[in-house]
Amino acid sequence: MVAFRRWRAARPFWGGLLLALGGAEILLTEKASLKVVMHIGMQGLAGYLLPAVMLICGLLILFNPAQRLFYSICGVLLSLGTWLTSNLGGFLVGLLLGVVGSCLTFGWLPDQEPRQSRLRWRRGRQTSAQHP
Amino acid sequence: MASSSDATSSAGSTPDPSEPSESGSTPETSEVPERRGRVRLRRAAVMAVPATALAAGLMILTAQGALGVQFAISGMPFTVTATELNGEGFAQFGGLDHMAEGSPNEGDTGGQVLVVVSAIKKATLTKLCQSVDLGGTNLLIRAGEGKEKVSAVNLTTDSTELSGDAAFDNIEIGNDASTLDKSHAQGPKGVFSQQADTVHIANLRQTNYATTAAVFKLPGLKLSFSDKGC
Repeated sequence: MVAFRRWRAARPFWGGLLLALGGAEILLTEKASLKVVMHIGMQGLAGYLLPAVMLICGLLILFNPAQRLFYSICGVLLSLGTWLTSNLGGFLVGLLLGVVGSCLTFGWLPDQEPRQSRLRWRRGRQTSAQHP
Repeated sequence: MASSSDATSSAGSTPDPSEPSESGSTPETSEVPERRGRVRLRRAAVMAVPATALAAGLMILTAQGALGVQFAISGMPFTVTATELNGEGFAQFGGLDHMAEGSPNEGDTGGQVLVVVSAIKKATLTKLCQSVDLGGTNLLIRAGEGKEKVSAVNLTTDSTELSGDAAFDNIEIGNDASTLDKSHAQGPKGVFSQQADTVHIANLRQTNYATTAAVFKLPGLKLSFSDKGC
């Protein structure tokens, strides 16, 4: 459990998860069979392609967080694209999940080393706490 | 000891560059030797704001009918009648509608229906009635029987039969369907078409396979099942 928490803290977990869930939700709303998709051509294929790539981007954010910026930008564009291609973005739910997930991923940063001034401030606070 | 802690802090792999005495007094940081992260709101907003704007734009464009939404027809014809139809910007051309693959209504048509596409930019209809034969019973929709008329913007109907007493203003017959400019729709190249500035049809009766409209207002809507169609 502690290991999982540690793993989760080291990557944009919620962002990736929401994006992957959004892609999965849109895929679930698609009912057209493969035969119909082949019949319609690229238009029909895009309906499956976009949410599938959304799902992959979400998983990649979780398992390869180093490239999160690229994945999140792809994710937000794909999410918006599903409005046109895949049942109005899985009837809006998947689109919202995807956009929120991408934004969370984009905004995620690993904690930086505290700046020198902050470090000093923190140390000063600590000494004052030790000697009130 | 001091040199090694300096090296790790510059590499940024451990969050605890402080002296041993201080690390002993802060147990939270020493428990998690990995780098943690969190969402910076301002950074997230950099993406959230344009994404929200784009999403809103898409929805508005779709609501206005500027962005097409594709769907397959059910293959069940429905009848539309109205005592009077008045429209501005009329165009008509041939087209082909596709049913969903494996639809039980395919019959010997191969899932395709040859239709006449009628496009009217602004239409008002009096005493609209629409009925679908569900086998034994009819789903009946009536509207516009009171004072207010049914109105539609960018109305497109795909019909196989159309009858009524029609009058047109400034009609052009025999245009190429791709050059239509009086209404909102255009057809494929090399297809016969006709267009007119205004259209007036009394005692309209249509057998349709699909109807789309950007805005379709149905005042006094009544939906019911009935033995008789329109």
